[in-house]
Amino acid sequence: MAKVRITKAQLAAEVASLRRSRQRAATRAERLAQQLTGATAGRRQAEAALAEALERQTATAAILRAISRSPTDIRPVLETIVEHAGRVCGASDAIVFLLEGDGLVRAAHRGPVPITERDLSLPIGRDIPSGVAVLECRTVHVEDIQATSEFPRGREIAERQGFRTSVSVPLAREGAALGALLIRRAEVRPFTPEQIALLETFADQAVIAIENVRLFNELRDRTGELQRSVEQLTALGEVGQAVSSSLELETVLTTIVARAVQLSGLDGGSIHEYDDEAQEFTLRASLNTDVGVEERRATRLRRGEGAVGRTAVTLQPVQVADITVEGAYESRHRETLLQAGVRALLAVPILREGRLIGSLIVSRNGPGEFPPETVQLLTTFAAQSALAIQNARLFQQLEVANRHKSAFLASMSHELRTPLNAIIGYSEMLQEEATDLGQQGMVPDLGKINTAGKYLLELINTILDLSKIEAGKMELYLERFPVATLVEEIGALIQPLADRRGNSFVTWCAPEAGEMRADQTKVRQVLFNLLSNACKFTEGGIVSLAVRPEEAPEPRAPWMVFEVTDTGIGMTEEQVGRLFQEFSQAEASTARRYGGTGLGLALSRRLCRMMVGEVAVRSKPGRGSTFAARLPVEAEDHSAAGTGVD
Amino acid sequence: MAKILLVEDNEMNRDMLSRRLQRRGHDVVVAPDGEQGVAMARAESPALVLMDMSLPGIDGWEATRLLKADAATRGTPVIALTAHAMAGDREKCLAAGCDDFDTKPVDFERLLGKIQALLARPAAS
Repeated sequence: MAKVRITKAQLAAEVASLRRSRQRAATRAERLAQQLTGATAGRRQAEAALAEALERQTATAAILRAISRSPTDIRPVLETIVEHAGRVCGASDAIVFLLEGDGLVRAAHRGPVPITERDLSLPIGRDIPSGVAVLECRTVHVEDIQATSEFPRGREIAERQGFRTSVSVPLAREGAALGALLIRRAEVRPFTPEQIALLETFADQAVIAIENVRLFNELRDRTGELQRSVEQLTALGEVGQAVSSSLELETVLTTIVARAVQLSGLDGGSIHEYDDEAQEFTLRASLNTDVGVEERRATRLRRGEGAVGRTAVTLQPVQVADITVEGAYESRHRETLLQAGVRALLAVPILREGRLIGSLIVSRNGPGEFPPETVQLLTTFAAQSALAIQNARLFQQLEVANRHKSAFLASMSHELRTPLNAIIGYSEMLQEEATDLGQQGMVPDLGKINTAGKYLLELINTILDLSKIEAGKMELYLERFPVATLVEEIGALIQPLADRRGNSFVTWCAPEAGEMRADQTKVRQVLFNLLSNACKFTEGGIVSLAVRPEEAPEPRAPWMVFEVTDTGIGMTEEQVGRLFQEFSQAEASTARRYGGTGLGLALSRRLCRMMVGEVAVRSKPGRGSTFAARLPVEAEDHSAAGTGVD
Repeated sequence: MAKILLVEDNEMNRDMLSRRLQRRGHDVVVAPDGEQGVAMARAESPALVLMDMSLPGIDGWEATRLLKADAATRGTPVIALTAHAMAGDREKCLAAGCDDFDTKPVDFERLLGKIQALLARPAAS
């Protein structure tokens, strides 16, 4: 941007200087006119000077107009310059040469002197006047090219084209010439210093115009680059998002291919995953527009085969500029690609910690090398693909491990439960038989066996429930039931537990509680858990269950709140924080003193969440605890809500 | 009391449950799998069947369907016994034609209650 401001300033300065010289010319013409007033010869001279000044003014104005009208293309400006320079300087013709490499290339020409085909581009050298003008960055006036031996090649050219006198002015920018402005006369007639000075002015204007265009294009390129960078960043951002938000591998990879192809302006693309053991590639994603996908999917590329296969060998980007060239592309996909009109291929290895896990390939329907920017862009996309593939692989492993865990737990639970059935059943039966046989002394010990068996069973059932929830196999059986009845039934179950530690047990159900729709078994399980915990951690205190409906924050439906309060040992904040973790009790010693595994609360919370509810806790050490289970009054079937491996 | 057919493949469970039922005065016949269970139901005409669901060969569901499809045994109430909380077990059992359902390990008093209830029901239903 800074450069453009300078150019505008230069342009302004130039315009000002042109105005000044126009004024000077006008003043001079006026002065001449005044001096020569009255004298016929003088008048003619004055008139000529005035005409000349006007013509210069017109020329300058035309050139400035051309510059302002054509900010991106130099040709119209140069055409205007040669048109006016030739006429104003009284030359047969005018030419602008631009330096391109080691040659002077004709950029604009106006006038009757022909330029022979072979002379449209001249190798630069000191043997032609314009060569000297460019190389030494000075004006070269040749009064008669045939009268000097200084420019042997210039002489040949002059002879060929038919001119004698010439002036070459360098198009100088910061001490170096971009080209030359040349005017010529067919006859030997030297140019006046005024004409040469004027020509130099035209040359300066040409330089400004060239600079202007160059800067303009540079700016446009930069803007374009910036635009492309923004697009790339956006696309990479999108891809990054896809990688992190979606574990659906094909979706992510398809997004990557689509963006890569779109951004590099190519015709097709696909991603192949590499199997290290089989040493072959599997097509994982390709564009909808891609052809022959089915054939290509069926034919897995082997290590070393085609561009994709070669990335497995080189671990570097592999280009094929033209697959039609014999031997350039050896692959079983060749026919399919040729039929699809593909000509050039670029494959980039997808690497993870130095190991190949796949290949990203793009195609173009025209032959030729891919520019370094495209290779770089594709490499970036390949890195993103690597992440996606890695994520997906990890997720698969995790899923398999999780399935194994669930299967293990399910079968373990089954295997454990069968003998437990016998232990619980026989010990119960023996208690009855011992009583019948008058062996009361054995009853307490048989009771201990029975209690231990039931405790183990409860533990196994809890573990199994948790693993089922984790595996997403726990289902909800929603039914409508009166809340008061549930409270009554739970109360009957809990009363003996409360009695055991000398607790009084109170239940209260709000009259407006009415009915709720939920999985009754699971609600029971949750309440039984919370209440048996309360009884376990309270001695000679009060345990209560209070149930009432409550408005939930919008947009949720109303809750049914089940509040279990005890006056027991309570917990510190830190203990509350660890409470719902599986196998965690407030303190390790708690487990020994009070029994239990700490799984009950974790399960209760999971069960509530399955029903889109929650369990909250308030507690103070020594003051007791309140657990509140909030469940929707009208549960909807959201079995999937329990599926999360959170 | 009544004659009860217990179909159960686990030997200990079979022994334990049948002895406890006998202690309460029931006459118990047993079968270790579904096929023999169906045959016993036809041969012995029990007043009630306790059917374990996961049996080798013909499983409890299939055996119950066979019993309920046979005019001779259709009227005999069947109580399904399943492992704890198998998803949808209750619905599946009732769909197979079972009259009631309980989970193992059985709460013996509760099971006795269910047996009484079904035996008290008029046989025609």
